[in-house]
Amino acid sequence: MTRKLQVVAALALVAAAVATGYWLHGDARFGRDASLTWWVGIALGVVLQRARFCFFCNLREALEEREPRPLLGILTALAAGTVGAVIIFGAWIPDATAGYLPQRGHISPAAWPMLAGGLLFGVGMAFSGSCISAHFYRLAEGSPLSPVALLSALGGFALGDLFWNPLYLAAYRMAKPVWLPEIAGFGAALLGQLALLGVLAWWLWRRRVPVTPEPQPASVHEALWVRRWPWWAGGLAVGALLSVALLRTQPLGVTAELTARGHQLAQQWGWAPERLEGIDGLRGCILPASSAPLSLNALLILGLVAGSLVASFLGGHFEWEKPPLRRLASAALGGLLLGVGSRMALGCTIGTLLGGITALSLSGWLFAIGLVGGVWAGLRLRRVWW
Amino acid sequence: MKPTLLLAAALSLSAFGTLTTHAANQPLVDTEWATKNAQDAKVRLVEVSVDPGVFEKGHLPGAQNVRWHTDLVDPVRRDIISKEQFEALASKLGITPETTVVLYGDNNNWFAAWGAWIFNYYGHKDVRLLDGGRVKWEAEKRPYSTEIASVTPTQYKVTEVNSNLRARLPDVVAIAEGKKDARLLDIRSPDEFAGKIIAPPGVQELAIRAGHVPTAVNLPWKVVVKEDGTFKSPEDLKKLYAEKGIDGNQEVVVYCRIGERSAHSWFVLNQLLGYNARQYDGSWTEYGNAVGVPIDNPAGTVWTGK
Repeated sequence: MTRKLQVVAALALVAAAVATGYWLHGDARFGRDASLTWWVGIALGVVLQRARFCFFCNLREALEEREPRPLLGILTALAAGTVGAVIIFGAWIPDATAGYLPQRGHISPAAWPMLAGGLLFGVGMAFSGSCISAHFYRLAEGSPLSPVALLSALGGFALGDLFWNPLYLAAYRMAKPVWLPEIAGFGAALLGQLALLGVLAWWLWRRRVPVTPEPQPASVHEALWVRRWPWWAGGLAVGALLSVALLRTQPLGVTAELTARGHQLAQQWGWAPERLEGIDGLRGCILPASSAPLSLNALLILGLVAGSLVASFLGGHFEWEKPPLRRLASAALGGLLLGVGSRMALGCTIGTLLGGITALSLSGWLFAIGLVGGVWAGLRLRRVWW
Repeated sequence: MKPTLLLAAALSLSAFGTLTTHAANQPLVDTEWATKNAQDAKVRLVEVSVDPGVFEKGHLPGAQNVRWHTDLVDPVRRDIISKEQFEALASKLGITPETTVVLYGDNNNWFAAWGAWIFNYYGHKDVRLLDGGRVKWEAEKRPYSTEIASVTPTQYKVTEVNSNLRARLPDVVAIAEGKKDARLLDIRSPDEFAGKIIAPPGVQELAIRAGHVPTAVNLPWKVVVKEDGTFKSPEDLKKLYAEKGIDGNQEVVVYCRIGERSAHSWFVLNQLLGYNARQYDGSWTEYGNAVGVPIDNPAGTVWTGK
């Protein structure tokens, strides 16, 4: 697409987004929660695309190229989101050791499928090129790999119906969520987590290799829409959005709707169990309960793609390339692992990792450890494949 | 007593009545009342919602949250909380025997009414519902708060248990077999009542049998509320129940599927109309699974294990 056409498309999208937000707010089936979720989705799409907040690429750059800055953006998001969550939880629960959890927040059981799911998800990221949320913003950049990976991930979510019940009974049913403030109180949990993030950041920063600094952007337009946002700006913005969603709608996550659609597919294909055990009692991106025609989670995802499209068009990032068949096959395989891994770990890098860690849940850390291991292994495996 | 003295006494009483902000035996308050009296130390607003997570998103300023899944039931035995558990809960909420407890919630006050039943069961004197609940509050654009008001815990003691507000399985069987003179009111959907279905779609708590308790009449819970979620007028309510042969001359036992929604109709019958009404909290999930009890199953649906 030409530059001019992309700008026109972006402006048309902004107008459509405003109209949609307004309409959602006034429609009796949706209301203000839906409208707000839509706007959070748009903002998230813009931020993810502009900061290139891609868990896989950022990890790869840190591991392979010793360029830690993008990964520092993720650590910044974790730190900012943790501060936000503690402020919000503190308003909801005066004393964290009272013996019950806040009503919202991805505080999931600390069980081994968090680790194993993270591992599979990590390998899936390496093969498909990114995580699920990044595939959503890449849709908006015209990536031909992302639709393949996402469709394949949907198949992975459908496969989840095959193992969900035994997995739940073996691993999740008797496992308890480990919520750090419940052990140590809000203050110690917050300080401990920030200290850990700080140590990780310091270690990453120490092993960086020098890079030549880029020249200053020539215009505001270039700084905002063409250049990648600085790592700290993207991190702070994601942290803020995590807090807004936690306070006002649902904790962020992009796989609840995919789980529901995967379950629908499994029903059609005839391998869905009569009943998915435990889904009413678990926290995470599981099945969205909704009487509205579109769940809040579906609105968030649609908003995310719309927001990324706006950002992508404004910066002229929309490009269509024909990838080799080998890459498409790799994306399909990786996508399948993304779906299976998410289903095991009750979510992906947004819900389980960002949402879980910022909510001070051990489950988020378990997923993150598995994920890093999976990316490390996946990078080696894919050298053989590619 | 001299007539003048009597008059003076009556006058002072009526003056007293207008001075107190909460006269007894007013089971409903409106949103305006709740706004004005939320900060009154003698009033405690308590939210009991079907979805307990909505409280954190915003609640009536000054309200406390009660989670019906864990705070109002014994999580192991299928039972309401014990006297001791109720005392602990009321103490935690900073309630004294003199406190005006105003309950409200989402979904037409379903579970707020269930909470009101439990407060009444444990003999709390002044228990009220906010007419219309969250829906009306929101429709009137009244403010929510996300702050959790801190309260000073009390030492609440239950002095009497109104066990006559609760019906148990033997009571219901006795009515069904004609050994006890009372009416039965089933507030589930007509299809459940007729035995066409055992439970509404998407519901896990099932019974082996479909149908209803013999002699019961069917009046779904929803008919007692208006469009805006508030209760209909006592005259309309009386007429509705009278059409089903429930006129307050006999004791009436009300039930549903799991025994929580029926508290809503119990509230209408007992608190708004002053009828002798009991709530059968075992409801169809107990009765429809009980062995050897009489059942009226017009549609003849039998659970086939599928």
